[in-house]
Amino acid sequence: MASHRVGEPAALSDSGAPHHHLPYAIPHMLHHPSNSTFINQEGPAFDFGELEEAIILQGVKINNDDKKQHLYTAIRPAATLDMFPSWPMRFQQHTPRGSSKSGEESTDSGSALNTLSNTPESPSDHRQPPPPPPQMDAAGGIDSPRMSGSQPHPPPAKPAPEKTLRRLAQNREAARKSRLRKKAYVQQLESSRIRLAQLEQDLQRARSQGLFLGGGGAASGSISSGGAIFDMEYSRWLDDDHRHISELRTALQAHLSDSDLRVIVDGYIAHYDEIFSLKGAAAKSDVFHLITGMWTTPAERCFLWMGGFRPSDLIKMLIPQLDPLTEQQFMGICSLQHSSQQAEEALSQGLDQLQQSLVDTIANGSVNDSMHHMAVALGKLANLEGFVRQADNLRQQTLHQLHRLLTIRQAARCFLVIGEYYGRLRALSSLWASRPRESMIAEDNSCQTTSDLQMVQASQNQFSNF
Amino acid sequence: MHYQTGSGSCKVPVKRSVATDPMERIERMAAAHAVVIFSDSTCCMCHTAKRLFCSLGVSPVVYEIDQDPRGEDLSKALLRLHGGAAPVPTVFIGGKLLGAIDSVMASHINGSLVPLLKEAGALWL
Repeated sequence: MASHRVGEPAALSDSGAPHHHLPYAIPHMLHHPSNSTFINQEGPAFDFGELEEAIILQGVKINNDDKKQHLYTAIRPAATLDMFPSWPMRFQQHTPRGSSKSGEESTDSGSALNTLSNTPESPSDHRQPPPPPPQMDAAGGIDSPRMSGSQPHPPPAKPAPEKTLRRLAQNREAARKSRLRKKAYVQQLESSRIRLAQLEQDLQRARSQGLFLGGGGAASGSISSGGAIFDMEYSRWLDDDHRHISELRTALQAHLSDSDLRVIVDGYIAHYDEIFSLKGAAAKSDVFHLITGMWTTPAERCFLWMGGFRPSDLIKMLIPQLDPLTEQQFMGICSLQHSSQQAEEALSQGLDQLQQSLVDTIANGSVNDSMHHMAVALGKLANLEGFVRQADNLRQQTLHQLHRLLTIRQAARCFLVIGEYYGRLRALSSLWASRPRESMIAEDNSCQTTSDLQMVQASQNQFSNF
Repeated sequence: MHYQTGSGSCKVPVKRSVATDPMERIERMAAAHAVVIFSDSTCCMCHTAKRLFCSLGVSPVVYEIDQDPRGEDLSKALLRLHGGAAPVPTVFIGGKLLGAIDSVMASHINGSLVPLLKEAGALWL
């Protein structure tokens, strides 16, 4: 057996880019019984799961084959050249150990490969030669038919017990599902990485091109510089928000004095004043970015009203959380909710009129004076900024009024509730975005629970508030 | 809502003097009624202001300055008066300046608008 290997070390050093040889190397390597021991895990995006399954199955074939010489005759001389150089060759005695691990769940394909060489044969591993596994097509599609064609079908060496067959089949299934899940997760990570790179590129461009480029200028097409800059400021504001919330929570738990609490609460109000001021500036440069809610998470966008939260909805959410309230406070907050609703209604009607007017202008533009109509339409669009500003003004006034109506301790709790509420809404968006989506994966409920838990743990920092 | 035009027959006679300072005109017009809104018929934010007062049960008197022959002077004067982003809408209650739309919103939210309206006799109960 060792004689077959003489040419190989030389071939190893000769081969160029190792990764290109991958798809071709595998079936060839599988013809080499001792190749079941390559353990190097430095392979790139290559899916070890497929390789491992193929190895196991091939190992089974080898195991069942009494006439092992058949395999050696089937090895083509070319096989010795196409080795996977980064994987160390182990010149060990061939024992058909691949089959012994076929019964194990193979979520960690690397370690499964590792143990391939170390476990002794067991009679339970002998089984009928399986048909060429479908996964092999991905690894070396051209080669699989050749492989099965060149190998003589070994007769089953020993009768396989029924239970073991079933167990092995189930394990195979579980292993395959696990591999698919892993693939999907990796794909998600890859796409997120690409998106992140794109975003960073956008930001770089925005920074270098300055503030007021105008909405349509961005080559990336996704966000204008004004929007990109606001997104950056907003994400910094969110970090600050997280810090403020933690401060509020510890202050309440520590039962600080009212004067100390007042400082913290005033700080939180100022923190909100800051975002409204930032939004005001952003409305000047890119009102569409604000009004369409592209700066928020999808779940927040669902509840968007005029570029932000609806104040009356916030108060509605707060009232049960603020118990206990005095009669006067309760009246005051209900009155606040009512006033806010009236103001929101008035603003919505104003915006409706603006939209109607815009529709009329665009629809009635004739060919002759289309430029004039466009100019008029542009003028009307400019009013959007005013509406977003007034909506933000309403939000700001509502928060200030809440501060006035409540005692300092109540106000601290109130703002903690607000901060946690929106934090949860944002976390909901993240969870929703990272939920497993492939139907195959969704079938296996237990696996789904596991992956959900993993995702939850991955976003642990979001939940540290709760 | 009562609309006042600068010319022709009006429900309320308006003194028309060429030499009248726009600021004086504004003050005079504002003092004539409990709630006065200086507006522009094409302005959507003015529509918001009108809708808000109507929803409170108030009948404001509206001056559409775009229909006033000296509307530009009025516009400049209004802008000088409250230093806001736009000359309209500008609201007077009981002859006193309340302000532009953001002041109106703020006073409604902090609960001061309704008492002001009651004081000026624009609201009962």
